[in-house]
Amino acid sequence: MSDQTQAAGTYSQAEEQTTFGFKLRALFLKHEWLRGYLLLSPTLLVMICLMCVPLFMLVAYSFWTQNYLDIDKTFTLANYEAYFQKPIYAALMFKSIRMSLYCTFATLLLAYPMAYFIAFKVTKNKLIWLILITVPFWTSYLLRVFAWKVILGFNGVINSGLISLGIINEPLEFLLYNPTAVVLTLAHAWAAFAILPIYVSLEKIDRSLLEAATDLGDTPKERFWRVTWPLSLPGVIAAGLLVFIPTVGDYVTPKLVGGTTGIMIGNIVQSQFGKANNWPMGAALSVISMLMITILVVTFIAATNRARAKN
Amino acid sequence: MKRMGINEFQDKLFTGKLDRRQAFGALAAVGVLPTVMTFGAGRARAAQQPLVLEWSGYEIPELYPPYAAKHGEPDFSFFATEQEMATKIRNGYPADITHPCADSWGRMDDGGLLKAIDTSRLTNWPDVFEGLREHHSIHDADGNVKMIPADWGNSSIIYRTDLYDGEESWCMLFDERYEGKLSMLDSESALLVAGLCHGFGADSFNMTDEMLAEVRPLVEKQARLVRFYWGDQTEVETAMASGEIVAAYAWNSAVKSLKDQGIPVAYAVPKEGILNWLCGLSITNVGTGDEDLVYEYLDAWLSPEAGKFLLEEYGYGHANKITFEISDPQKIADLGFPSDPVEMLNNGLMFQPYDPVVLEKMVDMFDEVKIGL
Repeated sequence: MSDQTQAAGTYSQAEEQTTFGFKLRALFLKHEWLRGYLLLSPTLLVMICLMCVPLFMLVAYSFWTQNYLDIDKTFTLANYEAYFQKPIYAALMFKSIRMSLYCTFATLLLAYPMAYFIAFKVTKNKLIWLILITVPFWTSYLLRVFAWKVILGFNGVINSGLISLGIINEPLEFLLYNPTAVVLTLAHAWAAFAILPIYVSLEKIDRSLLEAATDLGDTPKERFWRVTWPLSLPGVIAAGLLVFIPTVGDYVTPKLVGGTTGIMIGNIVQSQFGKANNWPMGAALSVISMLMITILVVTFIAATNRARAKN
Repeated sequence: MKRMGINEFQDKLFTGKLDRRQAFGALAAVGVLPTVMTFGAGRARAAQQPLVLEWSGYEIPELYPPYAAKHGEPDFSFFATEQEMATKIRNGYPADITHPCADSWGRMDDGGLLKAIDTSRLTNWPDVFEGLREHHSIHDADGNVKMIPADWGNSSIIYRTDLYDGEESWCMLFDERYEGKLSMLDSESALLVAGLCHGFGADSFNMTDEMLAEVRPLVEKQARLVRFYWGDQTEVETAMASGEIVAAYAWNSAVKSLKDQGIPVAYAVPKEGILNWLCGLSITNVGTGDEDLVYEYLDAWLSPEAGKFLLEEYGYGHANKITFEISDPQKIADLGFPSDPVEMLNNGLMFQPYDPVVLEKMVDMFDEVKIGL
């Protein structure tokens, strides 16, 4: 009998040692965290290859320098020093952030009523309304920007309309090629990203709360500011971040409708990676932009959390 | 998972009864299909079409008729300035053919990006103007041809004769009277033009730090005066047709296209000298296209039919001398081209390569000025 047990023991031991698959399986059964990573692995792989590696390269480049065709890989802070020495970079950074804030504000202002309408006033076929909102997004981003060029242009829709109505004699030149045109175009281009999160948070509001407010004597206006607005804030904040973060670095819109005064930091980054042929400087500018945006967003989120904790 | 019919899928989607697994399954099926289809398409193609990195507007098959007839269109991608193009290729963009100019291919050659061109593989080569075949600006130090001459012409100022009043000079682009009605190419050429207006002449191609500092106020003034910096010549054409701008830096083709529309425009011959350019096609060594196709494409560009189209429709000169025999003599006369391009290239101000260090300073300065600092 003891011989038999021994034989069985040797058999399973041999099996364990020879089959790699068996060992691996045992390992996965033993550790739950490994199973978790295995499930995550496709996503993780994509993230590592397409996000982490390029980001790491960007940071590495920002500490190098370029001399015509060669990249000098000795560690240096020269690019960051240049950022603080040349006033153009910081000035442009602040200008981009300012323009993005205007744009975020304009987007939210336009998106909120639209989301409110769909959440509260539309009772039938909500899905169709939501799809209609995304319709402009079925065309390319570039086409939407060009559409604004047509609308605001010298002999565009607005100017020709006003001239044919006899309101103006000369086309209005202040419509296109300035920061306002950039803000307007961006506000339209990113509208859906604001409408959807606001809609979701409005939709989630328990309607009985609104009834209760009315029963207790609130006017519609008071009811909005005391119940609906605070409860929709998470959506508004999410929408704000979704619009603000990508618009700071946008370069296509300013390039096409911004003229000489509507340039943003993205245009300089593009120029450094493109015709200026100075990748390290472009990388440093990108890293600084990312840091600035991160600081702003983190501060903003911390502030809202604190405000919420107080209430 | 049970396979669903499309109707069942629709019903479930709209009633919200679709579970996550089914939804993902359907999405995956939709996603996999096009991917598989592209694989098939790639294999079906016999030889790989070359990828051509071009100026916009040069992709039409009329500019390479023999090639288009035989192989269809190659793949295209576009650039706005030669700096941008060189950087793109230098960083691994696998273009086979690109379209630099006599003053700019050298920068790519310094990076070891250009192949020597075997002109014996080009059947139209013997018909190219002898002066161009031998021109120093297409050969490297070892005598290899690195760019086949293809198109040539001028860079100058196009202006509305009914709306602009003044002497033909590079200073037209700095005229205070026309604030908000001028336009310049979105490139460091703005500094070159400022140098020419300032009276530096051919030295504008190689400005010292002091000279750059001297022209900077002019460039700043221009940034205030221009309506926009253009990246694509059609922007100039539309804006000038509507009267939004009255004078702009542009190439011959803009004049041609606006005159054809009946717009009263003229091409200035600035008193400081008109700028001449010679551009052509180069073969890079980073491409992955079929080499025989690459040579066929180059040869097609040199064909007289291509030249006739380029001359009559775009208003540029062509390298093949037969072009000038078969094109409409009236159109040639209208363009004011000499009978031999070398004559023109040797007379006006020929574009010269910038020193790379100076060029970087120019690009930086132009960026700074544009931002307004």
